[in-house]
Amino acid sequence: MGEEEPRIGVFICHCGVNIGGVVNVPEVVKYAKTLPNVAHAEDNIYTCSEAGLASIKEAIKKRKLNRVIVASCTPRTHEPLFRSACSEAKLNHYLFEMANIREQCSWVHAHQLEKATKKAKDIVRMAVARATWLEPQEEPELEIKDNALVIGGGISGMTAALTLADQGFKVYLVEKEPELGGNLRRLHKLYPTMQDTLEILEPTIKAVSANKKIETLVSTTVSDVKGYVGNFKVTLAKNGEKREIEIGTIIVACGAMNYTPPKGLYQYGVYPNVVTQLEMDELLRNGKIEKPPERVIMIQCVGARKGEIRAVDLTGFPKSDTARLLAKILKAKREEGWPYCSKICCMNAIKNAILIKEKFPETDVIILYGDVRVYKEYEDFYSEARENQVKFVKHIEEVTPEITQEPEGKLTVTAYDALSGLEMKLPCDWVVLSTPLIPRKEEVILARMLKIPISQDGFLMEAHLKLRPVDTQMDGIFLAGAASGPKDVPESIISAKAAAARASILMANKKMRTEALTSFVDEEQCIGCGLCEEICSYGAHYLEDAKSHTIAALCRGCGACAAECPRRAITMQHFTDAQILAQVKAALTEEV
Amino acid sequence: MAEKTVLIIGGGVSGIQASLDLASRGYKVYLVEKSPSIGGRMAQLDKTFPTLDCSMCILAPKMIDCSHHANVQLLTYSEVKRVKGSRGNFLVTVLRKPRFVDETKCTGCGICADHCPVEVPNEFDEQLGMRKAIYMPFPQAVPRSMTVDKANCIECGLCQKMCQAGAVDLKQEPKEVELNVGAVIVSIGFDLFDPTQIPTYGYGRYRNLITSLELERLLCASGPTGGHLIRPSDGKIPRKIAFIQCVGSRDRRFGTTYCSSICCKYSVKDAVLIREHEPNTMVTIFYIDLRAFGKGFQEFVNRAKSEYGVRFVRSSPGEIMEDPVTKNLAIWYEDTVAGRIESTEFDLVVLCPALVPRADARELAKVLGAEVDSYGFFKAADILTNPVDTTVPGIFACGYCLGPKTGDIPDSIMQGSATAARVAEVLERV
Amino acid sequence: MEEAKVEAEFEPVILAFCCNWCSYAGADLAGTSRFEYPTNVRIIRVMCSGRIDPTFVLSAFRWGADGVLITGCHPGDCHYVQGNYMMERRFAFLKEALGHLGIEPERLRLEWISAGEGEKFAALIRDTTQKIKQMGPNPLKTM
Repeated sequence: MGEEEPRIGVFICHCGVNIGGVVNVPEVVKYAKTLPNVAHAEDNIYTCSEAGLASIKEAIKKRKLNRVIVASCTPRTHEPLFRSACSEAKLNHYLFEMANIREQCSWVHAHQLEKATKKAKDIVRMAVARATWLEPQEEPELEIKDNALVIGGGISGMTAALTLADQGFKVYLVEKEPELGGNLRRLHKLYPTMQDTLEILEPTIKAVSANKKIETLVSTTVSDVKGYVGNFKVTLAKNGEKREIEIGTIIVACGAMNYTPPKGLYQYGVYPNVVTQLEMDELLRNGKIEKPPERVIMIQCVGARKGEIRAVDLTGFPKSDTARLLAKILKAKREEGWPYCSKICCMNAIKNAILIKEKFPETDVIILYGDVRVYKEYEDFYSEARENQVKFVKHIEEVTPEITQEPEGKLTVTAYDALSGLEMKLPCDWVVLSTPLIPRKEEVILARMLKIPISQDGFLMEAHLKLRPVDTQMDGIFLAGAASGPKDVPESIISAKAAAARASILMANKKMRTEALTSFVDEEQCIGCGLCEEICSYGAHYLEDAKSHTIAALCRGCGACAAECPRRAITMQHFTDAQILAQVKAALTEEV
Repeated sequence: MAEKTVLIIGGGVSGIQASLDLASRGYKVYLVEKSPSIGGRMAQLDKTFPTLDCSMCILAPKMIDCSHHANVQLLTYSEVKRVKGSRGNFLVTVLRKPRFVDETKCTGCGICADHCPVEVPNEFDEQLGMRKAIYMPFPQAVPRSMTVDKANCIECGLCQKMCQAGAVDLKQEPKEVELNVGAVIVSIGFDLFDPTQIPTYGYGRYRNLITSLELERLLCASGPTGGHLIRPSDGKIPRKIAFIQCVGSRDRRFGTTYCSSICCKYSVKDAVLIREHEPNTMVTIFYIDLRAFGKGFQEFVNRAKSEYGVRFVRSSPGEIMEDPVTKNLAIWYEDTVAGRIESTEFDLVVLCPALVPRADARELAKVLGAEVDSYGFFKAADILTNPVDTTVPGIFACGYCLGPKTGDIPDSIMQGSATAARVAEVLERV
Repeated sequence: MEEAKVEAEFEPVILAFCCNWCSYAGADLAGTSRFEYPTNVRIIRVMCSGRIDPTFVLSAFRWGADGVLITGCHPGDCHYVQGNYMMERRFAFLKEALGHLGIEPERLRLEWISAGEGEKFAALIRDTTQKIKQMGPNPLKTM
């Protein structure tokens, strides 16, 4: 502990009704006041508001607090905010602790008010126990190199690279294929302007080649990433040859890929005229459809929105039909696929439908859908399609349409009309399957290398879905384009520019303060066994004169060395044995 | 110097993000906001979809960062009047409207408001609650200062007498400030389509017919009912609630033919919140297409159907009629699945109106010399490749004032960061 | 009706160690998604499951924990590369040690939860609480 007695201030947040509606906050405040070393306790409606922060700062000054606890939401969102408030009141911000009584209490115990209040008290007691043992720390400063790595040379990667290069930063643009361009190389036209993709792609590729600040490396992959923000050591691989570069920030723009249905699904791979929309793009571009087809049927959500069939609303159907339909739906084999909506497939289908009608005005085009998810001004595009006689038919998506082939080669699609419940048998020449954008397999490897988690839908996870959509939980690593989820061209460009903006902040400032979570060796206790050096993933321990030493700049604060050291010679700052054991004891006993 | 200075017009979440990104880069940012506080629409929301984060909780730290950042100067209760010059060197005249309170002295204690004799409808609460003539728009306002609404003030001087900090100054005059900036970012956001334009719905005549933004204020703990969902007519808890999508959207009658992108999402979110809060209240959503795209959203809708029992009816209702005694509302609609005209009674109906450009957007566009599109949103230089540039070099736009786009909060934040990148690209080369 | 039964019912106290990057975030996600679970768990945040010293676990049982749950990142996904593997090694030793101390090894549990697995976290707490309830109180408490 420090030289002085701890004087802890406890601030308990109502968070409106998020906490206050479940936990009896005034009761917890009263309880906090009874705990040892607590010199002050109060409640706030919103501790994160200006009023709450002012209250903290005032209490620190007036009550001479040397430890502050805020019992509210998860530290993963507001800890920096409260730490700043402490710093502003001249209290070292490592003397601040948060007690999570929202995400891990009121929000998961909404119907157990009494028990939730008791739990909140326990959580506060645990925080007080830990706070008693906290010590002030100094944060090391990291140098940030002013060059960036962009992984992926599609439209997003190229946009990010250009945005950074235009601001004067050196960029390594790495692309695993032999050419730049990504998915756009295979697409024919872009909605809603109906421009040829090459109109967008060629000038961008040209600009990248012409830009002296961008070093483009095609047929190259990232094989290893070491280091940390500002100082990544990246190993690139090309044709078996390796090259190491030192990088300040990384933007992941590896994109997504189009889902190819397994053979047999909708008879894809069995009948030659069952194709994906991407394949239809290629057919249209290469003029491969010579004879005007009589009818083209597009089927939406193939492999997307395939969650569990949990509820099917059949109200309104005549009773006799309902039973039959329900039986059919429940017997239907669960179609495999991804649970999410891929956002862009409705527009993409409409785009191709309009293109087909432009080329072959007599062709009947039908789109079978569950919901037509065009949005923003694209609604006008949808109207245009309908005016061009493209037919939109809502079908019962829970029953996978059957595709059969007549001897002459004509296909028949059997589906159920959602508005009448009647079976439809539709002869056609082409069946076009709208499939979702899905995560690339390489993503898993990248995610591991970069220590970025993967969301439930399989895409790379952003730091916060709402508030930090291009950041990741790793400082210095950002996401651009479809790597984090399906996007169309303008959305990809916007996210790429946003990622570049975020990366450029670090590089422009050249320095960054980092967490003071580093290990510390007590040389008297150390017997020089070398175990810490052996297990450290970052090379942060080295032995000299038979004693271990920590290189603070390399230490990431995991604490494994502290747990492994046979002599307990290593202390993990801010997560010491004493602090953790105090929490354990306080959790299990009323002792603090 | 102008080259390292930026003006941002509009203090909603996208303007705030752009401010923080630029300020962190070392640019000096002037953030101008028409209303007394930054925060914008996100501050009015209760929870955000699909994560159900408390909106103010995640916005507040960014608002406070703005007010504390050495490189950001907030000019709230101010408007941009004139813009001259060109990229790299704009001369902007900003009118600082008098709030009759010294921001530097006001502590936000609220004693003045306690004694103010004048009560008027609160715009922040969508006119559902009341405020005084001297007021703070919401408890987490930034800057944390009171403002006098001179139009409704009766000049009794009580606020000045009661203020312990000597912050009230009823003699304040409007002030014009000249700013020299290198680039401008517009982030003025949106307004709601006025549902009175659809007389068959009866908005404005029926007490229990509200807009989705009004619903947000009712659900919000800092709103006029402390977060309790009650019917405006009698204060009872509603037991049968209906949401009507696409009010004014996708509608050729009003020129708002676009889809507003977020309404399907937020109404499912609100439906889930209501069902969570009041398990005995049924919620029905009338929709045309359920546009639940976006990360995690289809999964959220599946949960809404299976776990929360939210009902979905595919129909665009034609008419709403009020029972004069109970003030319940009967919705007349065509059940497209059954092929019949039906009528169902609800005790509270929520309209999801189209999101339209602000009434002052055209005027601001004129001041800036920027073009607007046929809907009145700021026109992008190129919808595919230059989506956040306006038609004036050096002037950029982000957020809903650019039009619906994906429309949600992450999208607005990405656009805010993207405009920051554009500004840096342009000014670093000047 | 149920109330008298509830009073007599044993409510275990379970300590859960969660790593900041994966399982603690997963626990937060359970909260944001409003997945409900019993109130018996007390969570202690560490930066990595590799930080968890065996003495933390043994002390927990000594001080009366009815169950200890250790959670971390999935193998291969550890934010610090191999911290979770080190924890896995210790886990095997701890299970054996508990047996020697007269504590059922099943009271200690190790699970991998990622930041995106909110529902899994909630299900884990429900399951663990149920299992520990069936085992009864920590035998050391009655000694």
